[in-house]
Amino acid sequence: MPGVLDEIKQAVIDGNAGAAKELTNKALAAKVDALEIFQVALIPAMDEVGRRMQAEEYYIPEVLLSARAMRTSSEILKPLIAGNPNMKPAGKVVIGTVRGDLHDIGKNLVAMMLEGASFEISDLGINVTPDQFVAKVNEVKPNLVALSAMLTTTMMGMKETIEALKQAGVRSSVKVMVGGAPVNQRFADEIGADGYAADAATAANLAKSLVA
Amino acid sequence: MDAMTPRQRFMAALHNRAVDRVPVASPTSVATVELMDATGAFFPAVHTDGETMARLAAGGHDILGFDTVAPIFSIAQEAAALGCGMDWGRKDWMPINTTSPFAEPEDVRIPGDYLEKPSIRACLDAIGILRHRYGDRVAVIGKVMGPWTLSYHARGVQEFLMDTVLDPDKARRFLEVLMPASLLFARAQIEAGADAIVIADHCTGDMVRAQNYRDFLLPLHKVMNRELSFPTILHCCGKALDRMEYFAQAGFTSYHFESKNDPRESMAIVNGRMTLMGNINNPSTLLKGSPADVEREARAAIDAGVQVLAPECAVPLITPNRNLQAIVQAAAAFGKKRL
Repeated sequence: MPGVLDEIKQAVIDGNAGAAKELTNKALAAKVDALEIFQVALIPAMDEVGRRMQAEEYYIPEVLLSARAMRTSSEILKPLIAGNPNMKPAGKVVIGTVRGDLHDIGKNLVAMMLEGASFEISDLGINVTPDQFVAKVNEVKPNLVALSAMLTTTMMGMKETIEALKQAGVRSSVKVMVGGAPVNQRFADEIGADGYAADAATAANLAKSLVA
Repeated sequence: MDAMTPRQRFMAALHNRAVDRVPVASPTSVATVELMDATGAFFPAVHTDGETMARLAAGGHDILGFDTVAPIFSIAQEAAALGCGMDWGRKDWMPINTTSPFAEPEDVRIPGDYLEKPSIRACLDAIGILRHRYGDRVAVIGKVMGPWTLSYHARGVQEFLMDTVLDPDKARRFLEVLMPASLLFARAQIEAGADAIVIADHCTGDMVRAQNYRDFLLPLHKVMNRELSFPTILHCCGKALDRMEYFAQAGFTSYHFESKNDPRESMAIVNGRMTLMGNINNPSTLLKGSPADVEREARAAIDAGVQVLAPECAVPLITPNRNLQAIVQAAAAFGKKRL
């Protein structure tokens, strides 16, 4: 049923959550496999959104709307996919905005793009202490830890978190990626991160390369 | 003996008039932990107490040597007064609003005692104290959030950004209902003794396209500048080359710009219609770099013709004072002009 899959993909690209929901239900009613919808419609849609973001065709409002549409569809699909042996996540990610920083938009966008790239996300939210990151890493055993900071005043929290991962003896078991408005590659290198992404679209590509 | 006082120097440069040397200003916060320790005025108490706010701001001139003092360190003073939940932070954290309680523009009410709310009153008191302390020797810079940033706080960043696409009229109504709060606060700061008002409105290229500024905000900024009829400085972080033309049409006296924008290109775009201040990089240069790195960037800005040197945005609180002082040293060494 390629027609409806194309329509779902387009609804996500257009950021039309209502259409994404209706079309997802329509596809399921027509016995299209939930995993197929995820893999053939949602993931390519978010790939395209990422491409448009990097090309500056899409800005944050459009990406937010696409991510919301993707989530509307994926919330319907997730219970149906759970336990499917063919559903192999690209990897597990623990993500959060570091201590002292209450900004969540950039972190949310990265989480949504990673989810769209079929990563399994543990989102710790905002103002996350190094200890909370360590505890979550011990709990879910992720491939990646993604740290966000929006403020020049809080970016050193990333360094503290990486230090805490070292102290806890889990640094070598995860890759750490960092991002946020004040962060750059030089800063990422200085604090010992494995990767830096300038925006949410790049973050998805970086995550894929780090777990490859 | 300098030919100009710091205030004369800053005000002349702000209006693109002749100066003895390029001034150094603080359009956004230059509060640092080192300054707090030196002045005994600490975050978060400074945000709601005029006397301590003024004491910390004075460090910008007395200790760093800037030509201006700017007492409003956070972007959340108005959010608190409008009724948003607040986390005032701690010594090394900036405050931020934790809730955005307004789902509809019609829900927004500017309180009748808005100017008496502690977070607003403190700023007005601080401006008055600094004016009295420095007389006409040092320039005092005030600051208000513009309607776009107030909409982020009142409505929530994600919600407001999505409104601009899904319900543009609603987004416009948010801007229109919040603009009077910006104007009210700006007028009160002028009355308290400010020499120039920064209007911080984060309609940035890192988040939205230039057309958003043109269609939503430019008409309001024109109104604000007309109504205030006073020196104004737009602050908008991030990439802005694609919207500087619109900024220049809005009637601001100056634009405070970030290091993501090449100073020469920026000067070419504004083409004398307003002055520029900036654009020393915060995270790499002022926070992590050396005084020599600061000097290099300051010289690039001076050579491009940028009228006022400044950090690009509110400096990280753990920025070393020596790097901020290095801006002043670079201005003295390389920014000398013939009057």
